[in-house]
Amino acid sequence: MSLQDILLQQLANGLILGSFYALVALGYTMVYGIIKLLNFAHGDLYMIGAFCGFLVLSLISAVVGDSWAGLLCSMVLSMIAVGLLGVLIQRIAYQPMLAAPRLSILITALAVSMILSNSVMAFTDGEFLAFSTDLGFDGVELGNVFVTYTQIVLVAAAAILMVALYLFVHKTLYGKAMRAISIDKDACRLMGINVNKIIALTFFIGTSLAAAAGIMAGSYYGSIHFFMGFVIGLKAFTAAVIGGIGSIPGAMLGGLLLGLLESYGTQIPFIGTEWKDVFSFGILILLLVFKPTGILGQTEIERM
Amino acid sequence: MADISNSTSTNSAQAVKAGGLMAWLEPQQNRILVLAALAGIALALPLILNNYAMEVMSSVWFYVVLCLGLNIVVGYAGLLDLGYAAFFAVGAYTTGILTSHFGINFWLTIPVAIFFSICAGVIIGGPTLRLRSDYLAIVTLGFGEIVRIIARNLEITGGASGLIGIEKPSIMGFELNEIQHFYYVFLLLAILACFISYRLQHSRLGRAWQYVREDEDAAEAMGINRVGIKLYAYVIGAIFGGVAGCFFAAKMTAISPETFMFQQSVLILLGVVLGGMGKIPGVIIGAFALVLFPEVFRELGSMRILVFAVVMLIIMLYRPEGIWPAKK
Amino acid sequence: MKKSLFMSSVGTALAGMFLLGQVAIAADLKIGIMVPTTGSEATAGKDMENAIKLAAEEINKAGGIMGMNIVTMTGDDACDPQQATAAATKLVSAEVAAVVGGYCSGATLPTLKIYGDANVPFVIAASNSTKLIDANQGNAFQINSTGFDQVATAIELFKGQGVEKLAIIHQGDGYSEDLAKLTREKWSGMGKEVVAYEVVNKGEQDHSALATRIRSKAPDAIFWTAYYADGALVIKQLRQAGYRNLIAVGDGSNSPKLLEIGGKATEGVFCFSNPTVDYLPAAKAFHANYKKAFDQEPDAYAPLSYDGMKLLADAIKRAGSTDKDAIIKALAATGSFEGIAGPISFTEQNTLARSNFVTLVAKDGKWILAE
Repeated sequence: MSLQDILLQQLANGLILGSFYALVALGYTMVYGIIKLLNFAHGDLYMIGAFCGFLVLSLISAVVGDSWAGLLCSMVLSMIAVGLLGVLIQRIAYQPMLAAPRLSILITALAVSMILSNSVMAFTDGEFLAFSTDLGFDGVELGNVFVTYTQIVLVAAAAILMVALYLFVHKTLYGKAMRAISIDKDACRLMGINVNKIIALTFFIGTSLAAAAGIMAGSYYGSIHFFMGFVIGLKAFTAAVIGGIGSIPGAMLGGLLLGLLESYGTQIPFIGTEWKDVFSFGILILLLVFKPTGILGQTEIERM
Repeated sequence: MADISNSTSTNSAQAVKAGGLMAWLEPQQNRILVLAALAGIALALPLILNNYAMEVMSSVWFYVVLCLGLNIVVGYAGLLDLGYAAFFAVGAYTTGILTSHFGINFWLTIPVAIFFSICAGVIIGGPTLRLRSDYLAIVTLGFGEIVRIIARNLEITGGASGLIGIEKPSIMGFELNEIQHFYYVFLLLAILACFISYRLQHSRLGRAWQYVREDEDAAEAMGINRVGIKLYAYVIGAIFGGVAGCFFAAKMTAISPETFMFQQSVLILLGVVLGGMGKIPGVIIGAFALVLFPEVFRELGSMRILVFAVVMLIIMLYRPEGIWPAKK
Repeated sequence: MKKSLFMSSVGTALAGMFLLGQVAIAADLKIGIMVPTTGSEATAGKDMENAIKLAAEEINKAGGIMGMNIVTMTGDDACDPQQATAAATKLVSAEVAAVVGGYCSGATLPTLKIYGDANVPFVIAASNSTKLIDANQGNAFQINSTGFDQVATAIELFKGQGVEKLAIIHQGDGYSEDLAKLTREKWSGMGKEVVAYEVVNKGEQDHSALATRIRSKAPDAIFWTAYYADGALVIKQLRQAGYRNLIAVGDGSNSPKLLEIGGKATEGVFCFSNPTVDYLPAAKAFHANYKKAFDQEPDAYAPLSYDGMKLLADAIKRAGSTDKDAIIKALAATGSFEGIAGPISFTEQNTLARSNFVTLVAKDGKWILAE
């Protein structure tokens, strides 16, 4: 492989990885934007999404097969199911805590995260499940660079979801309400906006995007396990911070950027892959310390 | 705000008395009486316990130290630290490296470990304590992972396999190598940790932590240097973890990076939150639950975290100040 | 106040139950089993426990050892060093005559000191990190071949396939790093080239960037030294990145799950394995009995665990007493014990005197013995 081929191939790798990061980061950013909560359980909802998709697919594959049609059906169904789970979690665990000190709600979120991952662990005995689908290995070859059709479809699907979200937030009344609440909740209430309903909607959308990413990742990589949400949860949070937490285009940008950074990062000579995560976390920490608003985020004015 | 001071040592028998006889405990001499009785029980326990039970009980005292250390950060100063195992690792590896590579006496490694723990606390805390509390949680998580990965990658830390053959300490020619010895060592550490925690809580610093925890901006307006006092909490917590780590390394004689994973930090945090953040007896009960639960409910062993997480959620929702009642 | 009283009673009850549980039960001959029965490796641990219990039952049916009935007692190490020391102390304080087990090398390691100090004979059935050799105080016996043997088997395969440039990937845990390091040393020592030596983090899903990086170094063979779950993903993405040469995996990846998760991508992958029932002609009866008793297939370390218990019984008989020193002496003197996984005798370091590794290859979604 020539250097050019390597760089191109890593571009493709980074874009695919970045799409997953972006989808998960969107949920973080939306929830953070609207109730200023760092939802630790978000990565676990991605994991639940993958398991839900696996379950639905194994139920319906007899009817629609386990290729594209089956996947699409199970994806839509699990997005709805997991989205509702997200709303449920918000109602039970987060709603009563909104007025509590920040520390309490963070610990609550951590508890929810542990409950989700550990109950899946109990159900699966901690085993890896094979998410086998019939997607095939065919693809396009451009010189030495190889991209499968599955990868192209994944990136396209992620793009469609993100564009749809962007349009929803910026062109509909609900989207306008969401943006308004993130600026001033109390004023919105006075203006007659049903704040709780909009918060629930935000959770629904954010969670179902994570679920979509989970199913796509599960079927693409071919295995799912209870711990799969931890690493991506952290990475997606990093992506959201890079882009500027609270900003939707920021999350998309941050996701893609982090994906590219990671794939090109492995090409850096003399530094072994064993240091990879030190770099990812290092970037996150430096960013939080020196530019906590990220690329597209707005400076927050602290009110007393 | 008169807190319950029956904390120098504990076991469950004490908890019963403390719960039922709270009023009786009010006068100082009664409290001292109870404390003395409890210390006596804890000291006499090895006479009736077999080695296994002693092993488990020393593990309890060990987690009491760790949980009290984290309690200073989380309970007193109100900062969520998700990477506490990093300090524990710093202490354990300092002792491990110095004794196994350089043949330095165990007791001499403790001040070195304290020094490195302070450094780690300042390095992590210094730039990050200005951040909002949710960012801080993520940053500490990241640091915890970085410390573990460094321990895994370096040659001097023994790589992924870790260090083996760490010397057992001796006092004036008397080698600590039996489980009773470590039982007493950890019991003493736990008593010391309780004592320091208690003194800190009622010190000027303790009150400053309380102000910052309740209302950061008001505290700052009152002239409290909030970053400074947070850093104190961070560094003191780090020292607790580091010292516990030294003794952990000496007892286990082998350490590996797996011990210091994110799950370890979460476990310690669970101990702090379950019994009631910021309250010494509560934290001690939390540490007891943490260690004894998997030993008593063997079949549920793998569900331990799940059970604890559910309890933690319920506590946060219905009794955010913890199980141990606050005295107003 | 009421709540605190309640909580305190819960605490007392917990402590009380714990202390009550310490009453020892009198038994004829108590043998400890140390395996992970909870945690991430519980499946393998329970499988080993089953096999050991099966062996004990057979011995009891045949009249026991010198008229004594074997009673087993399990200590759960949870594949965690801390819990392992508790489990080992538990077994030692219950005064077991000997211990069989040991799955995760990292968890087994700190227990060697405890068993050593108590001079308890310990037959290590599965753990095979080379680190165990140094920590052994003379009372422990490894009946699984160590990493050294696996490296020798691997090098032989690579040489036979004309490999010059080798890439090695491990997972950053003690076991797979140990194997990767040994292989690198040996391969470089032969004057050949290790073009890539990489680590992947446990639980990560995307290895495409790593796959591209490795492919660009054009190795003739890739050796994955870690476990099946992440191995399947790595192999899949290596193939997806266009790598077409040889791939070999270590014994941690010896599982049908690797083939299930990896699918077509794992076709033709080589695997080094300790002997499992499918390739052991002598294990037919064991296979059938195990299935009958537990209604499941025996897993990778069942035959070795079974042999471990049988070997111990044999040694106690030869020693003619349950004296610990005598048993250890008898174990060390084992000359021609025929286990279902092959003959057992020990080196001076108390490791298995022969290599029991076989080479498997994936064909049509199944592991078969390689030529």
